[in-house]
Amino acid sequence: MTLQNGLFTLAEAHALIEAGHFMTVAGDESALRRLPPGHWIGGTIPYFMSSHGGLCSRDHVYLQLIDGFAEPPRLSLRDIDQLPDICRLAPDNGYTLIIIPAFGECHRQFAQNAPTYDDMYMKPLAGWIAGVHLGELGQRKPLVVLGETGEFAEDKAAVIDVPLPVHRYAQVDIINPFRPSPQPVLHFAEAGFSATHCEIDGQTQKLADYLLGLKIDTRLPLIGDYCGAAINVSIRHIDPATGTVDFYAPVFPGVDYHLAEPLADYVSAFEAALPAGDAHPDFACNCVLNYLHGDLEGRRTGHIGGPMTFGEIGYQLLNQTLACLTVSR
Amino acid sequence: MKIDDWLHKALDIQAPWQISQLIAEPATRRLDLWVTLQAQRTGWFFGSRQQAPTPGLPIWRHLNVGQYSCHIHANPRETGWHNQLSWLGEEGQPFSRALCQQIAAYFKAGLGIPAICPLLDIAAADLWKFKHHLDQGLTGLSPAAEPTGTNVPGADHPVWLALLDGSRQLDIRALSRKLLLTKLRDQVQRINDSQVRSLKAHELQRYFVRHAHLLSHELAQLDHA
Repeated sequence: MTLQNGLFTLAEAHALIEAGHFMTVAGDESALRRLPPGHWIGGTIPYFMSSHGGLCSRDHVYLQLIDGFAEPPRLSLRDIDQLPDICRLAPDNGYTLIIIPAFGECHRQFAQNAPTYDDMYMKPLAGWIAGVHLGELGQRKPLVVLGETGEFAEDKAAVIDVPLPVHRYAQVDIINPFRPSPQPVLHFAEAGFSATHCEIDGQTQKLADYLLGLKIDTRLPLIGDYCGAAINVSIRHIDPATGTVDFYAPVFPGVDYHLAEPLADYVSAFEAALPAGDAHPDFACNCVLNYLHGDLEGRRTGHIGGPMTFGEIGYQLLNQTLACLTVSR
Repeated sequence: MKIDDWLHKALDIQAPWQISQLIAEPATRRLDLWVTLQAQRTGWFFGSRQQAPTPGLPIWRHLNVGQYSCHIHANPRETGWHNQLSWLGEEGQPFSRALCQQIAAYFKAGLGIPAICPLLDIAAADLWKFKHHLDQGLTGLSPAAEPTGTNVPGADHPVWLALLDGSRQLDIRALSRKLLLTKLRDQVQRINDSQVRSLKAHELQRYFVRHAHLLSHELAQLDHA
């Protein structure tokens, strides 16, 4: 029987871990703490896209299994000083998966600085941001865990480096259900998780005033154009008093940003954006904002499942996007 | 010329390649060299980074260095199997192209395997294997024709700066290429120093060299430049 990624009961996960499989694990903290030691890294999140649709569960974990490697993967926790070397120390041929707890300094540093890391974009890097049940925001902390030692951490990144044989290679892709409106074009002078002013079609304006004036649906992200790659920046909060707009990922100067066109239906939009065929990636994750705004409980977004996280990583931090990694010949 | 530069020259290892690690074994008079792309330099004060030898790479016997046999370790994914570098060999072959040419010259001069082996300090089994492949047409001595679409222009080719300053566009398929190009374009916009701009072009070319086997769509567009 070929093992596939998916949602598992704790007993099933226990057996797979004890069998020696390498994997990433997503689950509520209470579930992760009940798993045995083994070759896994994990992150807290209770929201998933399973083969039966979206669901929230504290009794299940989502496992993404790792096989076909050239030699045993290396699992570790990296602190903030080690983040810039993530790609430089990655296998020459292989890939790296990373899980970072939300809201900590690791999260912020990675979000702002990942594009500048040595060997970034040269070596495949994918992952996600660990979170908590939305009803427990502010009460519980997102965590990652190194399964080999059982260590939980609130401000380190859990990393697994997977060396591949020379005839195999990994590729990171994103599936973005949102489409940019051609006008206006927004530019930001500085990088950051918030902005007050920005240039809108060449004119400097207060972004908050602009968005509120247009009655923009703030469930829709801004979309940055990276040489044709559509990279979302989700809106977290608009403060009319200060005129500040906060984001879930940083905006960067030198990038054209657009407002996203409204989605009639998230499921249809994801299905339209998925590549042809039903091939399953080796790793995938999606965004809890899509779970919420798209009302995805009980509904499937195509055939690709995974944790619904507080942010996705496809080389750099992403929002409201399906990020996946596929190993090919 | 520094000793390091001399060694690179003697072995015909030219930029963007460098010897990243050297292990010399006096007892067996053996040199093992790991050759990689020059490490990305960060910041204004360029410093080299020691890299630990990567295990499990293909090894080719190269031209001797004095009394020492020289063995090149290189990553075919980094160098590209179709790269005609003289210090590399073909997949599955024991000798670098330069050594193959030297052996071929001895054959042409009428020397046989028993004479060549002690001259070059080569194991007879390896030389027999090489001759067998020559005789069976399984390997050659002439440079192979470059497969269409896998030619990566050299680092100094103007196409790289043209891609970075936006005067040349490419239809790009993979996410990593799009993100890298965006980053480098943004940096080049703010750089006036021609040498630093050249460094950024070099970085883009390094990406294409490393991933040439995945870039047929993009390289085909460069072929038509």
